[in-house]
Amino acid sequence: MAEHDMKTFGSIAANPYSWPFDGVWSAQDTALLLLGFQNGMIAELSATAELEAAASLLDAAKSAGIAVVVARRGVDGAQDPLAARRRLLGDRVPDRHSPEWQISDRLALPEDTILVDLGGDNAFIRTGLEDELLRRGVRNLIVAGLPTEGMVHATQRAANDMGFECIAVADACKGTSDPRHTAQLRITTFGNGLFGAVAATADILAALKTSQE
Amino acid sequence: MTTPENEVATGGFWPLGGPVSKTEIALIIIDMQVDFCAPGGWVDQLGEDVSNTRSVIEPIRDALDAAREAGITVIHTREGHKPDLSDLHANKQWRTRVHGLGIGDMGKTGRILVQGEPGWQIIPELQPVEGELIIDKPGKSSFHRTELADELEKRGITRLVVTGVTSDCCVQSTLRDGFEYGIECVLLEDCTAAVETPNHEATIEILKSFGGRWGGVSDRAAFKAMLDGAHGEKADG
Repeated sequence: MAEHDMKTFGSIAANPYSWPFDGVWSAQDTALLLLGFQNGMIAELSATAELEAAASLLDAAKSAGIAVVVARRGVDGAQDPLAARRRLLGDRVPDRHSPEWQISDRLALPEDTILVDLGGDNAFIRTGLEDELLRRGVRNLIVAGLPTEGMVHATQRAANDMGFECIAVADACKGTSDPRHTAQLRITTFGNGLFGAVAATADILAALKTSQE
Repeated sequence: MTTPENEVATGGFWPLGGPVSKTEIALIIIDMQVDFCAPGGWVDQLGEDVSNTRSVIEPIRDALDAAREAGITVIHTREGHKPDLSDLHANKQWRTRVHGLGIGDMGKTGRILVQGEPGWQIIPELQPVEGELIIDKPGKSSFHRTELADELEKRGITRLVVTGVTSDCCVQSTLRDGFEYGIECVLLEDCTAAVETPNHEATIEILKSFGGRWGGVSDRAAFKAMLDGAHGEKADG
């Protein structure tokens, strides 16, 4: 077992509670979820700052040995009734393997990245992701992505029902409007963190540094 | 009433339009339980205001009467956990205990959100009748670790009219997952509420702004009009 797998990190000063709820997390039991950082969506939301934040989280996760999950939304012909339905309602869901569908080159993904392809928003539905995370012993999820009220929130809601302890990274997520982004994160933290906690990229990076000695 | 703008955005009551048979439609009433919306229930014991969640009892009753009259399938959900709490995640219990009275703890209406306890029951005003489906759920989404998706498929139901509490929590989770399971969902705006009004309003704004991406937003007057327009004989019971 690699040395970094055994490190534990200090808890993160988050809203509305110090994350994780029981104060204990390590590289071994944590995954970073990067959701929807695809060229088309990044351009549509002008999300370059959020992409930079995600890139810094990714670098920190890789050096700490934290598992990385990347989710891509796209249409794959008749196999994607959800995406096809969304297109009927005017949503620009990209074709798989098109330039818009590709994950941004800015994210240098590790070879063992867990890639999830989906037509909807919830990265846990019909993807096997829950089993894969449980198989690896992951309990904690650091969540970043686009848009906040779409793939990010749908996935975090589902993860929370499954018992994963989640933290959304506010400045590594962007909504289709600032009020929607803010409202969705407020709903996340309502009721002492009904769907988990919220923090900033700097808070996550600071906590990861506590173990780097 | 549904506004003309909304009509354009959602293509009528259903985001993708009709026609639709009554046998394909179900009304789902989410978590109208004593603990969430009755005086003396859990939320009330926490000192939170239950007037918002209580305000939708009569509108839901009206929608329920219309659904029963039309003979469509009616589904009730109850959030709750087994008495041994084996299906309760540690972080979920921790979050609720911060409020002073957590899931599984003994309150004035029995153990909070535990199956079989008085507080866990559906409120008297919206009691299920024989033949209606009751779904017990351990999470926020009515599809999480329940038989709901299988039951809908078995009964040939492809459309779900969503009501109940709370809009920002279990209702939103159910609507979003309904979309993921390929079910056409429409939320009745006047039949759902949250404890905090800003969260309710933000939820509705987000759902409306995408023109039915996850599901439509309508109201019970349009629901009743839709039932009148749906074809097919009344389903038995």
